[in-house]
Amino acid sequence: MSEQSVIKSKIMIDMVNKNPIEDGAVIFENGLITLSGHYEKIKNKIKSDAKIYDYNDSVLIPGMVDCHTHHNGFGDGRSGDSIGEMEDNILSIKSAKNAKTSLFSGVTTIRENGPKNLTMMKLRDAVNQGLAIAPRMVLPGRPIAIIGGHMGYFGGEVTGPVESLALARQLIKEGVDYFKITATGGSTATSFPLRPSFSQKELDAVTNEAKNYGLLTATHCLSMEGIDNSLNAGVDMIIHCNFDNEKGESKFNEKLAEKIAKKGAFVNPTLHVGRARLWNLAIGKNPSLGGGENKRRLSSSIRSDRKDILEARLDAAKLSLENKLDHCRQMIDMGLKVITGSDSSWGDYSLGNTFHETELLVESGYSNYEGLKSVTINAAMALGLGDTAGSIAKGKSADFAILKSNPLDDIKNLSSVEEVFLMGQHIDRGSDESNKTYSQIKPAQF
Amino acid sequence: MTNENNNLLVIKIGQLIDGISKSVKKDISIVINGNQIVDVKPSGELDIPENLNYKLLDYSDKTALPGLVDSHVHLTGIGDGRAGDELVTLSDEILSINMANNARVHLQSGVTTVRDCGAKNNTAFHLRQAVEMGIAESPRLVLSGRPLAIIGGHLGYFGEEITGEDECRAAVRYLVKQGADFIKVTATGGSTRTSFPLRPSFSQQELNVIAEEAHKFGKHVAAHCASSEAMKRVLNAGIDTIIHGTFKEVDGTNKYREDVAELIAEKGAYVNPTIGSASLKIKTMERKKENGNFTEQDQEELDSINREQEHRLECFNKLINLGVPMSAGSDSAWGQYKMGNYFEEIEAHVKGGQSPIEAIMSATNIASKSCWIDDNLGSIETGKLADILIVKEDPTKQIENLRTVVDVIKDGQLIDRQSLL
Repeated sequence: MSEQSVIKSKIMIDMVNKNPIEDGAVIFENGLITLSGHYEKIKNKIKSDAKIYDYNDSVLIPGMVDCHTHHNGFGDGRSGDSIGEMEDNILSIKSAKNAKTSLFSGVTTIRENGPKNLTMMKLRDAVNQGLAIAPRMVLPGRPIAIIGGHMGYFGGEVTGPVESLALARQLIKEGVDYFKITATGGSTATSFPLRPSFSQKELDAVTNEAKNYGLLTATHCLSMEGIDNSLNAGVDMIIHCNFDNEKGESKFNEKLAEKIAKKGAFVNPTLHVGRARLWNLAIGKNPSLGGGENKRRLSSSIRSDRKDILEARLDAAKLSLENKLDHCRQMIDMGLKVITGSDSSWGDYSLGNTFHETELLVESGYSNYEGLKSVTINAAMALGLGDTAGSIAKGKSADFAILKSNPLDDIKNLSSVEEVFLMGQHIDRGSDESNKTYSQIKPAQF
Repeated sequence: MTNENNNLLVIKIGQLIDGISKSVKKDISIVINGNQIVDVKPSGELDIPENLNYKLLDYSDKTALPGLVDSHVHLTGIGDGRAGDELVTLSDEILSINMANNARVHLQSGVTTVRDCGAKNNTAFHLRQAVEMGIAESPRLVLSGRPLAIIGGHLGYFGEEITGEDECRAAVRYLVKQGADFIKVTATGGSTRTSFPLRPSFSQQELNVIAEEAHKFGKHVAAHCASSEAMKRVLNAGIDTIIHGTFKEVDGTNKYREDVAELIAEKGAYVNPTIGSASLKIKTMERKKENGNFTEQDQEELDSINREQEHRLECFNKLINLGVPMSAGSDSAWGQYKMGNYFEEIEAHVKGGQSPIEAIMSATNIASKSCWIDDNLGSIETGKLADILIVKEDPTKQIENLRTVVDVIKDGQLIDRQSLL
């Protein structure tokens, strides 16, 4: 019995050739790509009993790779602190639902950035048991944080190089794929976003152990000292990468950016999570407080719907987004390895909408093609999956998204997903109606 | 019409099975306001003022019946044949994910209310929280949480093994505190490896305390009984539903016991006969037989299941003749019985001697009565919650027509039956 399958398309963007291939087709067997190219050129390799998927009006791209997800999250503005208080069973149910959302939206590989306890490891178990479906998942177990540090509520608070090393080893024992470290505070109420969290020695303890086992590392950095410490520790990806000093002044620092370039670290700027907050503030939906604010000062004695406060928050969100876009443009101009990592479902940004982040990378200076690279092949390389995912090439996993419209014409067309394949398997996405339920659309005033 | 808002939905139907009446009504309109049925009347007599906006769903050539009530599910099950003893080795997180999937599948198949007869630890209560948070689609949940079991008893591995009157009382109180809607107790052993299906488990005194304490809080009790002797005990304790109700002697012989049957009738207890899983098994094996590849051992197994099922159907028939109310409940996804196939159980009720409309009543109104939720559910009447099933073909002609589900309405809302989220 032949296991061979073929997808025919109007246009194939394989992320290997710079130019899209008209009438492009891909042949795959046992979940792996065996051949791709112009249909006429490869059709003699198609077996007579191959399963043919004919998408002659559509665009074939590699399945998308999202380097930064939170499958525990809701994307409805609620705080991470409140998610940290939820039962693991409930977060597991939410994660299983979110994972379907990711996959149905065309994302076939995700790197998780902060789940509670073992919830995502358990989702992986459920997938292996055939009780859930999910994209390929690159998992950190839980983030490594200082006491009171960002996402400490997810179960990974440690102090000192020895405890840090011990947690790293414990995580390896649990089967994680990489380490996520919060090198500064963040939206977590008890944390300090403008201050570094771990000492250099603590960071080194984790990155050394990662190198020992061939694992990658990524650090959450909302201010510059955290970035610098991370680079010194040899971290592979800087997340958020905010050029804020400890006073909260945000000014692009070319020297630090050069250091990122020199170290070869990837940058995941997380632009849309701020824009999503802005959108929700503007339309009056209950938005998250965001990373830069000290929530302990914004105590519950102040009504959050007070107009002056809302406006101040709206202004702050606008300014912060403008700064981030500007800094991202400069990093792109300098040739830094900037990739797509949505940070959904965090804050107001819900999963299934990865394209919004790529869109903002394009707004920051990427061409549509470079934007597409940032959410496919370059993202795969950032995750150490350059041989497995991110392009349509022989030997790679048969992960595809079939789009109605061409993302090279408009990057937003990444949202026009019609069909998804993961490891050669045609994914049943359920009803069209249900696939509209998770899409977040730009409010009219923007 | 008394409502003033715009949340009106009118459902025109060709034929109504209301769950209570043994006859069907033709050309009926059901008027729904929000999640409640506010009127049920002949379509010709519909008198909605012209200035009121309403949404219309036209099923003029179809049959409506109450959303199905499955009075016995295990949302935690997988239905792939694995034993409960193996199932519980899965982590609570995985079981939670599975429960949420099962709940959605069962709802999409037409079941709008389930009574969950036992899940591990806190998973059932956490599923309810997830539903309330809007992250899981589910039928209405009537929950027991953890079943009460003796040490080593059936389903004890779900986390509630207790001994003695005080522990029984404490367990009931603790489950009620956690939000249990009823108490499930395993009054005999069952498929659990360390248990004895032919022997009663809890003592009379323990059962008395369980029933007394549950009733004190307005909660009912359902007892798993895989043999006859335990039925007497649970009935004397005042337990409300007998599950399985298998007439078997301590030595394993099948014997219909008139004394027990009369006691059931006298006490007014409900029986949830769970006869669908065996008929499903028989069907599966017969299909295997048709396809060849049927061993001698398979044949022996099929013969044995057939013999057992014959006995169970006979007993079923005798009980309905005594007027015992039969509460349909699938027991899926236990054993090999996957969720979304409640029809199998309802069809088995017809095999046991109920007419199709009686079987539908067993799966709607009677099931809702046995779950103590009939104030709001189980029939299509003014004042009830708007849980409605629309089927294409007439199930009163042939019960298998119940499978021709067109739409499922819960709380006045159409369910997306194709969604996988």
